[in-house]
Amino acid sequence: MTTIPPYLKPGDTIGILCPAGFMPLEKAQTCIETLTDWGYKVVTGKTLGHQFNYFSGTDEERLQDLQQMLDDESIKAILCARGGYGTGRIIDRLHFKKFKEHPKWIIGFSDITALHSHIYKHYKIASMHAPMAAAFNDEEYKNKYVQSLHDALIGRKADYVVEGNILNQNGKASGILVGGNLSLLAHLIGTSSDVKTKNKILFIEDIGEYIYNVDRMMYQLKRSGKLEELKGLIIGRFSEMKDTTIPFGQTTEAVIKDIVKEYDYPVCFGFPVSHDKENYALKIGVKYKLSVTTTSVELKES
Amino acid sequence: MNRKHFLSTIIPIAAVSTAFTGNEPNTDLDFKQNIPPYLKKGDLVGIACPSGFISIEECAPAMNKMIEWGFNIRLGTTVGARDFTFAGTDEERAKDFQQMIDDPLVKAIMLGRGGYGAVRIIDKINFKNFVKNPKWIIGFSDATVFHLHINSNFGIATIHSKMCNSFPDDFSKADQTQIDSIDSIRQCLLGNQMQYKAPANPENRYGQGTGVLIGGNLSIIQLLCGSDSEIETKGKILFIEDVGEYLYKIDGMLWNLKRSGKLKNLRGLIVGGFRIKPDDPGEEFGKTLTEMVLEKVKEYNYPVCFDFPVGHIKENYALKCGMKHHLKVSVDGTFLECL
Repeated sequence: MTTIPPYLKPGDTIGILCPAGFMPLEKAQTCIETLTDWGYKVVTGKTLGHQFNYFSGTDEERLQDLQQMLDDESIKAILCARGGYGTGRIIDRLHFKKFKEHPKWIIGFSDITALHSHIYKHYKIASMHAPMAAAFNDEEYKNKYVQSLHDALIGRKADYVVEGNILNQNGKASGILVGGNLSLLAHLIGTSSDVKTKNKILFIEDIGEYIYNVDRMMYQLKRSGKLEELKGLIIGRFSEMKDTTIPFGQTTEAVIKDIVKEYDYPVCFGFPVSHDKENYALKIGVKYKLSVTTTSVELKES
Repeated sequence: MNRKHFLSTIIPIAAVSTAFTGNEPNTDLDFKQNIPPYLKKGDLVGIACPSGFISIEECAPAMNKMIEWGFNIRLGTTVGARDFTFAGTDEERAKDFQQMIDDPLVKAIMLGRGGYGAVRIIDKINFKNFVKNPKWIIGFSDATVFHLHINSNFGIATIHSKMCNSFPDDFSKADQTQIDSIDSIRQCLLGNQMQYKAPANPENRYGQGTGVLIGGNLSIIQLLCGSDSEIETKGKILFIEDVGEYLYKIDGMLWNLKRSGKLKNLRGLIVGGFRIKPDDPGEEFGKTLTEMVLEKVKEYNYPVCFDFPVGHIKENYALKCGMKHHLKVSVDGTFLECL
């Protein structure tokens, strides 16, 4: 049974920090203002606006910032301002004792997949795969994807109905949702943060990968038994994909289709979970119903 | 790096050295090396392409050189075949490789090139005949799939080395290190005693270790994690190399190895050539490869060396995966010996 952290009430405090790559403070400004408009108090961690080479701080600084927000009972949710790379470097040094006693929402995607998987695997506490600070900029805080984060935070149950895709494998399924960034999920295989996918609905997305690399990561998922016993599979968007000088000869979607066509559970392609603005808030560890046809897809929180 | 002053050399020794005095207890006495028969003059070497495509012309230098070594050559049906980046469809590549494995006349299989594709066919290959009558599988990069799969499942030795596409068109114009690297394949195939030296690196961690050698391309090692082909590193000497990856990606892969316990019980760690993709502007990672490696292994005591001549570099000596080696890393440099 998954523990659901308390949903947020007006006046609750959200902490913003960067556990991985650095982000200038001004790029998080709209996010902070929007969260304030939503009625929350916002506190910023030391790692927001801080930089140590690629990272938002040394491993120790990032660790300390995240640890402090995990432990601080007055903080009801932690929004990771940015992914990038680096969460996996500190994850084994985090202590979740207080977090376990007082669960709170961890929000983010991309590199934050490491945290989502780790927390669900070890503590069965739900977390939120959702837009981060940059998604609020350029007036985008008004779009339905950022708004879906607000809905999720106040406990409104999601019911996403999106367009179908000719590649979809029709069917209905019900199961706990897990997933995130494909590269991260692949990097977690074999580690203690690796989530079991049996009887789950899995979702994946990625950015900036070579098509052949998506192919081999999908083979890794398949060969490590991660695809076999799913209830359903949600393929998000694969943004800014690259091809080799000699073309791979297939699109990313076709590559994935080739690998999953042998399974009889529902599979949908092009679901709005991605590094683009199309990125609905999804609660990892929470039960959803998935209904897939080639004309439409519905993902509904049970 | 100052390789010019410390040319790595291979010293073939006619007889197997018995003078070795390792100071470590041999904890795996039950380990029996499964070594395919070494080659004799006139033996048949097959060329197959389970991954990327290569033309017959591009394989000619390798064919000519191996004929010069006294071997006969059989070209697989995938040499010169092409399906986009692959040397034929999955079925064609699997069939060709299967035939090479099953044919008792073929004593060794050299891969045409790496690229990508081995993982797509590995589960289609039936190794029954191979286990009964082992033969040498030769290659690197994507061929790491075969090294790891074969070593983890069958404990049969394989040769991690250059393959057809790394033979120069004109040997008279090639670097001596490249010529030596290619000749080391011949020495491995003939069963010569293999020894390798690498220059001292101030960041090396000194020590000695004895264990079965295993490794290859870091990306492939990570991508096989969780599968039937997953690397087994316990009690072994691990070598890693990679090409064209960002530093942050390499860091992520090293964390995967560490967090999945694969760096814990090593007898030694050999870091070969890493051709790293430069950081994007504004995304400077700020850590060197040596720093990244050393921070992962700081709590362990085995020797660690850098700049070992293995990888996507000119100096890429043939290493026998699955065979016991002794590694010594000292102020004088790195010394690796196949026992």
